[in-house]
Amino acid sequence: MIPFKYNIRNLRARWKTTLMTVAGTALLVCSSCVLFGLVDGLEHSLTVSGDPLDLIILRKGASNEVTGGFESKKADELLELNGIQRDEDGPVAAKELLNIAMAERLDGTHNNLIIRGVQPASRKLRPDFQIVAGRDLEPGKGECVVSRNLSRFYKGARVGGILDLGEKEKYRVVGVFTAGGSAAESEVWADLKDVERNTGRDGSVSCVQIRAAGLADMDQLQKTIEDSAQFKLSAIPEATYFENQSKSSLFLKGAGTLIAVLLTFGAMFAAANTMFSAVKSRTREIGTMRALGFSQRDVLISFLGESLLLSLLGGALGLLATLPLSFLTIETSNFNTFSSVTINFRFGPMVMAVALIMTVVMGLFGGMLPALRAVRLEVVSALREL
Amino acid sequence: MKYFTYILRNARRNPVRTGLTIASTSICLFLMMILLSFFAMSAEVASASRIFNRIVTMNANGFAGMLPVARVRQIAAMDGVVAATPFQWYGGKYHDEVMPFAQFGVDADVVFDIIDEFTVPPDQLADFKANRKGAVIGRKLAKDRNLKVGDSLPLKGDIYPVDLDLVVSGIYDGPNNRDLRMCLFHFEYLDEALKQTAMAGSGGSLTTEAARRSGNAGSIFVKCRSAEMMTDLCRRIDDEYRSTEFPTRTQTEEAFGQMFEEMMGDLKNTVYWIGAAVVVSLLFVAGNAMAMSMRERTSEVAVLKAIGFNKGLVLFLVLTEAVLVAGLGGAIGALGCKFLCDFVDVARFSGGFLPFFYVPWNTALLGLGVSLFVGFASGLVPAVLAANSSVIDGLRKVV
Repeated sequence: MIPFKYNIRNLRARWKTTLMTVAGTALLVCSSCVLFGLVDGLEHSLTVSGDPLDLIILRKGASNEVTGGFESKKADELLELNGIQRDEDGPVAAKELLNIAMAERLDGTHNNLIIRGVQPASRKLRPDFQIVAGRDLEPGKGECVVSRNLSRFYKGARVGGILDLGEKEKYRVVGVFTAGGSAAESEVWADLKDVERNTGRDGSVSCVQIRAAGLADMDQLQKTIEDSAQFKLSAIPEATYFENQSKSSLFLKGAGTLIAVLLTFGAMFAAANTMFSAVKSRTREIGTMRALGFSQRDVLISFLGESLLLSLLGGALGLLATLPLSFLTIETSNFNTFSSVTINFRFGPMVMAVALIMTVVMGLFGGMLPALRAVRLEVVSALREL
Repeated sequence: MKYFTYILRNARRNPVRTGLTIASTSICLFLMMILLSFFAMSAEVASASRIFNRIVTMNANGFAGMLPVARVRQIAAMDGVVAATPFQWYGGKYHDEVMPFAQFGVDADVVFDIIDEFTVPPDQLADFKANRKGAVIGRKLAKDRNLKVGDSLPLKGDIYPVDLDLVVSGIYDGPNNRDLRMCLFHFEYLDEALKQTAMAGSGGSLTTEAARRSGNAGSIFVKCRSAEMMTDLCRRIDDEYRSTEFPTRTQTEEAFGQMFEEMMGDLKNTVYWIGAAVVVSLLFVAGNAMAMSMRERTSEVAVLKAIGFNKGLVLFLVLTEAVLVAGLGGAIGALGCKFLCDFVDVARFSGGFLPFFYVPWNTALLGLGVSLFVGFASGLVPAVLAANSSVIDGLRKVV
C-alpha cells in the first residue's frame, strides 16, 4: 500500500493546479447545493404544516384552499360537530377566507399575496404560531399581521405600515408573525370579518380547519362531512393536503436534479483533466514505485484516493460556502395559484446528500480513467520516460 | 492565418485534455442556456406580442377580482376597438390531473379574430361557433393527449363548482412561440352552468360566492385597431371604471406577459447567480487546462522564441488556442441546446408547467460569447507567462 501521505504531498506540490480544480468544483457543488437547499426548504414548509389530527375542509372537487369556497352557513354547522377538540376557548376549529390580491414589493414590482381572513383558533391550528414583533391583530379594526418573510419584501408590510391591496383593501400592519417554517409564512393574516367585508364575499368561506379530538373522532368526522347530505364537502387530513400541494414543487425538483446532474458531469471532467496531467507528469515516479514492488492495485488505489481527496476538498469547500446562506429567503410566485411563496434555504440532509453524491461521483469517475492509465504503464518504458 | 495549423495541432496534441475541456465547457453552457432561456424566452414572447395590438383588462386587485362580463360589450363598442372577448381561467381537472393545461372560457364568435395568429380550419371554426359545448384546442395539446376532432373532453371543476362536458370541435395551429396547449371553450357554457348551481345549491339566494362568480369575465382580451391607440385605450378603459365597484387595470399584452415574469421575483436573480457561478467555475477549469498544457510546453516556447518569434506572437498563439477550445465547447453547448429544443418538444416533459420552450437566438449567441470570453480570460495568464518566459531557463528546463 502506497502511503496516503504521498498523495497529500503531491496535491501540495502542485498547489496551483490543485487550487484551481478545487475552486472550480467547489463552485459547481455550491450551485447545486443552493438549488437543492431551496427545493428542500419548499418541501419542508409543506411537511411541517400538517398536524396529524388536523382536517381541512373544502368544497368537493376543489384541490386548493384558494379555490375551495362554500357557504358560510355550512361552515357554522361544521364548527358544531362532535369530535372536534375543545379547549378553554371552545372548539379548535376556524373558518377561513382567502383572497389573492396584488401588492407592491419594495423594489416597485408586483406580485399576488394571499390574505387569509382568520378566526382566533386559526393560530392554534398552525405549528408554533408566534408574534415576533408588534402585537396580534384585534378583530374588526382593519388590522393585519404579516409573516416575517413577507414583511421584508413588501411595501408597507412592517409594523405600523399600511398594506395597500387595492381601493377597498387596506390593512394596518400591527404585528409580524412566524409559524414554525410552515406554509403560513407566505401569508398575510387579517380578521375574517374584515376580509369578508373588504372583498364583498360575506356568506362564503374558503375552507374550514378543524382539529379532531382523537384518531377515531377524525375518521368519524371525515365520514360525516363527506357523506351526510347536510355537508357533501371533502375533508382532507392536512398532511395529505400539503402532500398534494408539494406536487407542484415536483417540477422544481426535476429541474434541480437535471441541473445538478449536468453540473456533476462538468465537475467530473474538470477533476479528470487534473488527474490525467497528474498521472502524466509522474510517469517516471509510477515506474519507480512499480519497480520497488508496489502492485498494480496499489497504484490504482493510490491514484483513485488522490482523485477522491481532490474532489473531497472541492465538495467540502462548496458545502461550506452554502453555510452563510442559511438565512437566505427568496420570494417568488408559486405556479399553482400565482401567488407569492417565500422559500427559506434549508441546510439539511438533502443538501449534504447532493454534495456527497457529487463529490464521490466526480472523484471516482473523474479519477478512474487516469488511474487506469497509470496502472497500465509498462514499468521499463515508464522509467525511461523523461 | 498561417499559424492556424500550428495552433490546431497544438490543441489536438493532448486530445484527452482538450476533449475534457470542451466537454466541460459545452455541458456548462448547455445548462446556462436552459437557465437563461426560461426568462429570455418569456421576455421575447411578450415583446413579440406587440405587433398584435392587443390589450388586456383585469380587475385592479388581481386575478381573483371580479370583472363583470357586461364590460366586454361596453369595451367592444369603444372607439378604436376591433373586438373584445372574455378570457376566463377555468383551471379544471382532466382525468383527475390538477391543472394539466390552460383552459379559458371565451367568446367563440370573435376569439380567433382577436388572437389572429392562431388558425383554425373554417369548417371546424363554424362548428365551434355553432356548438355550445364545443372547444378548440391547440395542436400540441391534441398531440400530447391524442385528441381528435369529435372526441369528448370532460373537465372537472376545481375553482368552480361545475363540471364541463366539452367536445373537441376544432384544433388550432399557430407559430411555435405561442401557446399551442390551450383549450378554448364557450364562456356562456360555463356561465350558464354557474347560474344553475347558485340556484340549486342555496335555494335561489344569490349571496353565495358561486353566484357572484357567474357573470365574471375574469380578464378581457381586446384587439385595437392600431398600435398608437393602445396606450390611450388602456387609459380610457381604466378611467371608465375607476369609480365603479370593480376598478380595472388595463395593460398591453406585452406588459401583461411581463407581469408574470415580474412575479417570479427572486427566482430570476437566483438563476442568474447560479449562471454566473458556473461561468466563474469554467474560468478555473479551462484556465487550469491551458496552464497545464503550457507547463508541458515550456521548452517548446523557449525554442519558438529562440528562433525569432516575438512576445506578441507567442501571446497570440496561446490565446487563440484557448479561445478556440472554449469556443468550440461553447458552440456545441449553446447551439446544440438551441437546436435540440427546436427539434424536440421539451415542454412536453414539464408536466404542463411550460406550454413551450425554446432557446432564443440572442441567448444562444450570448452563450457563445460567454464561452469565447472564458477562453480568452482563461488563456490570458498562461499566455502572458509564456510570452514573458526566459529563453535560457526554458531551454535548460527538463520537463
